[in-house]
Amino acid sequence: MKKFLEGSQAVARAVKLAKPGVISAYPITPQTHIVEGLAQFVAEGELKSEFVNVESEHSAASVVLGAEASGVRSFTATSSQGLILMSEVLFNIAGMRLPVMLVCANRALSAPINIWNDHQDSITLRDSGWIQFYAENHQEAVDFILQGYRIGENPRIMLPVMVCIDGYILTHGMEVVDIPSQEQVDKFLPPYNPPYKLDVDNPLSLGLLGDPTVYMETRYAIQETLNDVLKLIPQVSSEFESIFGRRTLRLVETYKTDDAEVILVAMGSVAGTIKDVIDEERSKGKKIGLLKIVTYRPFPKEEVFNILKQASQVGVIEKAVSLGSDGPLYTEISALFSGEKGSPQISGFVAGLGGRDITKKTIQRVIELVKEKKASCIFMDLNKELLWEEFRV
Amino acid sequence: MSKHFEEHNFVSGHTACAGCGQALAARLVVDAAGKNTIVTNATGCLEVFSTKAPQSSWNIPWIHSLFENSAAVGSGVESALRYLGKIEEVRVISQGGDGGTADIGLQALSGMLERGHDILYVCYDNEAYMNCLTIDSLVITKQGLKKILDIEVGEELAAIDLKNYQLVYKKCLGIFDNGIQPIYELKTRHHYIKATPNHPFLVLKRPGRGKAYGFVWKRLDELKPGDELVSLKRVREEKSYVFSFKKVEKGDYKVNNLNPVKIPEKSSPSLMKYLGIYLGDGWVREEKGEVGFALPRQSFQRKEFIKLHKKLFGCKFREDEMYVYINSVNLAKFISRLGFKKGAKNKTIPSWVFTLPLREKQAFIEGLMSSDGYKYNGSWRYVSASFELLSRLKLLADISGFKSGKVHWQGVNKGEKIVNRELLKDTAFGYICISRRKKPDFKKWPHHSKYRNFFCDNKYFTVEKVKEINYLGKLPTLDLRVEDEHNFIANGLVVHNTGIQRSGLTPFSANTTTSPSGKFSTGNPKLKKPLVEICAAHHIPYSASASVGYPQDLQRKVKKSLSVRGPKYLQIHCPCPLGWRYEPDLTLEIARLAVESGLYPLVEYEYGKLTKVFRIPKPRPVGEYLKLQGRFRHIVNNQEEVARVQKVADKNIEYYRLK
Repeated sequence: MKKFLEGSQAVARAVKLAKPGVISAYPITPQTHIVEGLAQFVAEGELKSEFVNVESEHSAASVVLGAEASGVRSFTATSSQGLILMSEVLFNIAGMRLPVMLVCANRALSAPINIWNDHQDSITLRDSGWIQFYAENHQEAVDFILQGYRIGENPRIMLPVMVCIDGYILTHGMEVVDIPSQEQVDKFLPPYNPPYKLDVDNPLSLGLLGDPTVYMETRYAIQETLNDVLKLIPQVSSEFESIFGRRTLRLVETYKTDDAEVILVAMGSVAGTIKDVIDEERSKGKKIGLLKIVTYRPFPKEEVFNILKQASQVGVIEKAVSLGSDGPLYTEISALFSGEKGSPQISGFVAGLGGRDITKKTIQRVIELVKEKKASCIFMDLNKELLWEEFRV
Repeated sequence: MSKHFEEHNFVSGHTACAGCGQALAARLVVDAAGKNTIVTNATGCLEVFSTKAPQSSWNIPWIHSLFENSAAVGSGVESALRYLGKIEEVRVISQGGDGGTADIGLQALSGMLERGHDILYVCYDNEAYMNCLTIDSLVITKQGLKKILDIEVGEELAAIDLKNYQLVYKKCLGIFDNGIQPIYELKTRHHYIKATPNHPFLVLKRPGRGKAYGFVWKRLDELKPGDELVSLKRVREEKSYVFSFKKVEKGDYKVNNLNPVKIPEKSSPSLMKYLGIYLGDGWVREEKGEVGFALPRQSFQRKEFIKLHKKLFGCKFREDEMYVYINSVNLAKFISRLGFKKGAKNKTIPSWVFTLPLREKQAFIEGLMSSDGYKYNGSWRYVSASFELLSRLKLLADISGFKSGKVHWQGVNKGEKIVNRELLKDTAFGYICISRRKKPDFKKWPHHSKYRNFFCDNKYFTVEKVKEINYLGKLPTLDLRVEDEHNFIANGLVVHNTGIQRSGLTPFSANTTTSPSGKFSTGNPKLKKPLVEICAAHHIPYSASASVGYPQDLQRKVKKSLSVRGPKYLQIHCPCPLGWRYEPDLTLEIARLAVESGLYPLVEYEYGKLTKVFRIPKPRPVGEYLKLQGRFRHIVNNQEEVARVQKVADKNIEYYRLK
């Protein structure tokens, strides 16, 4: 049923449809509305779930870890500092192969403390073994949560899933979104039945000491499983389409790339703005397209390579930077083309950190810069007056 | 994930130290709790020694996640059980050590108590967190002798099995760079090693007439001259070394002519003697395909060498007044691949020699002695310009039935003093003395021999007295972590691997590696954190302390706490023989003494009120408790300090009305 909803409310409704048995979270802006919504559902009796109000994000992640290990579907959500405080547990959850669902309302990292959106928090967790999807709009957020549970809980996968939605832009923005019916979701998402769990009738020990003779194999297994996830996503997506009538979860989404000379690459809500700019530029006869990375982990190398290879220039716009290096997405895309003949000229742009608006103007400027000489890490829209250039070495 | 088949809830087969109080307590707890229990465990000793993948000692569902979140994982498990409607039939126990509970895990514990989860939290309180050698130390591995710097994780190191004093090989689990540390040099009669003051060594304990001998770990700063350390005299699994050498053949690139030569496939006593002579007097020029030996024509060494050469390699050679030359590409290649290194200052004994059979090692030493060595007053002396060669020769002699003295090293221009033969005066030289180890007549004088050397009948180890310990300065250090036995053999001496650090539950005055005693310190300056009271202050149904020294009381408390709903806390005093430094068979005695002296009051709080204490009508003096443990050794003879600890006990007795 189509509804006009705030993003957090849409996410809360999607989670409710997935019927998690244990929800645990600690409040943090801009994630708070999501768990507030869920707490309300539990209070009203609309959702039969244990809602654990913990004393920190570290414990929130530990609670869902314990619940998931006991064979119960669980959910948590957080942002920024909360995600980083959780990170010790997040690595642990992936290593223990527990398909926890986490919604990250993306927010900048302190210091300076900043509650606005960028991708630095979740990008930092890219090496943790979690599957990561980046949503462009409310509909995607809803659909990714349902499909994320389905993928993570597949007995051949058993990995945690992080659905990343842009803080404020999605969490607090209102949009029309199609909330599926419970019957549809039940048809798509079977009850959680893990191959291993804490059970007094069949005692198992979980989380053992892995010495040098076994540790490396456990890491290799996660690596291989993540490669399998790339194959599984299209299957799950088409099954989703057959029930819900739309296809949202992809490895990558393309927008007018078929004949594009310049392709921009981006993740999350900024894709909407870029699509608008592309339409304007196309009307002026400029051949520009967009590649939106939906599945960032596992990284769909083959798809990205095949789409970008036809372009003559590529501009990667990202809301994160690996300080001291370049943007992480730029680095990964450049690596795909290393040593390839006739590869496009790839430039990297860091934009919108700490919630600075990425406007149409920003995108137009990127398109101009892409055509100039190759650059690996250009910070967009800097206020030169705030830079103390005279203090540099 | 591993499946369990045995009957008990916590079964043996784990790798805890002998006398571990924690292992004992864990078994008492889970046996009292029964089958319908799920356990969440914090990182720590208990978790490491009980669940090394793919094995597990837990016969009930058990999960470990991190150091500080056992109570939070327990909250998740409990919520899941609540959701599944199983909370009435299944109990949850969250447990951890004192660090994981009172320090880093306190926040999660407090959160769990405050939210009212139906969980029993058990803290195994061993009052601490559970050191290092210089980077030039030499370590015995299954592949021979290696520098500690070259050891890799997974490599098998020689260690002593403290149950039967036999030599075992155990895997190295980790290497820790401990940075630049103050270093002392420890010398015994035949060995020397450089280590930090907190590094533990295995020391023989002489208990006096009629009592059994034993061994204790002592830190370097506790060692005194006269203490007997354990050293290695033989290695196990000795076998001849198989050379994988591929000969150059006629017709290979640029090979037109060859001196036909037999290359042995594996080592033998005569080959090792030959190589001993080579190491002393030989040289190799691989590019010219030449091997040479400096053996004067009239010397008996020349005759013996020629006999050996004909027997082993059977190839042509040239002689002149001073030298023997062999022009063979294959022989030159063969010898230079063996790892003896070239040049007087760089020569060394490669690792593979250390694992040869005894007979071959002895032949090698004989060969070496017949070259640069000479007999002096019934012992051999060996002179070399290579310090590495001398220090390795020393350890080789130690495990080949010889005893050896220290490496005497002399700088430039002091050469003439050390030996009765002409030496070049412009180079640095050193020498060592070795002589055959005498075998005591154990059958004839068993007690006498045993008294002089406790290990006289042990195949692999021997004991020797500490002579002196000197401060050297600050040097880079490394430590190894070894599975199961937690010891390894460095510079011939048995040493231990890990340290013990202060936690919030470390008692007053205890000496740990992070709260050491010294001139200005008498150990841990803080009183124990009152965690039983802190938990009771949450007004939970039950918060109590117990001791592994009183098992019935402990199990009663477990059962009592599980009979009520809501959060419960139980703190169990678990002595740790390694960390507290006492004999493993004293665990229960020490645990009881802590209670009977008033230092560890056993109390029970119900809904925030003190309801029961374990009475001690006649408290024992704290001195009895302190004197049994190495961690209090620095204060035992200081009346003032003992009185301060007594005051802590007296306060407990008064406060809880224990009398």
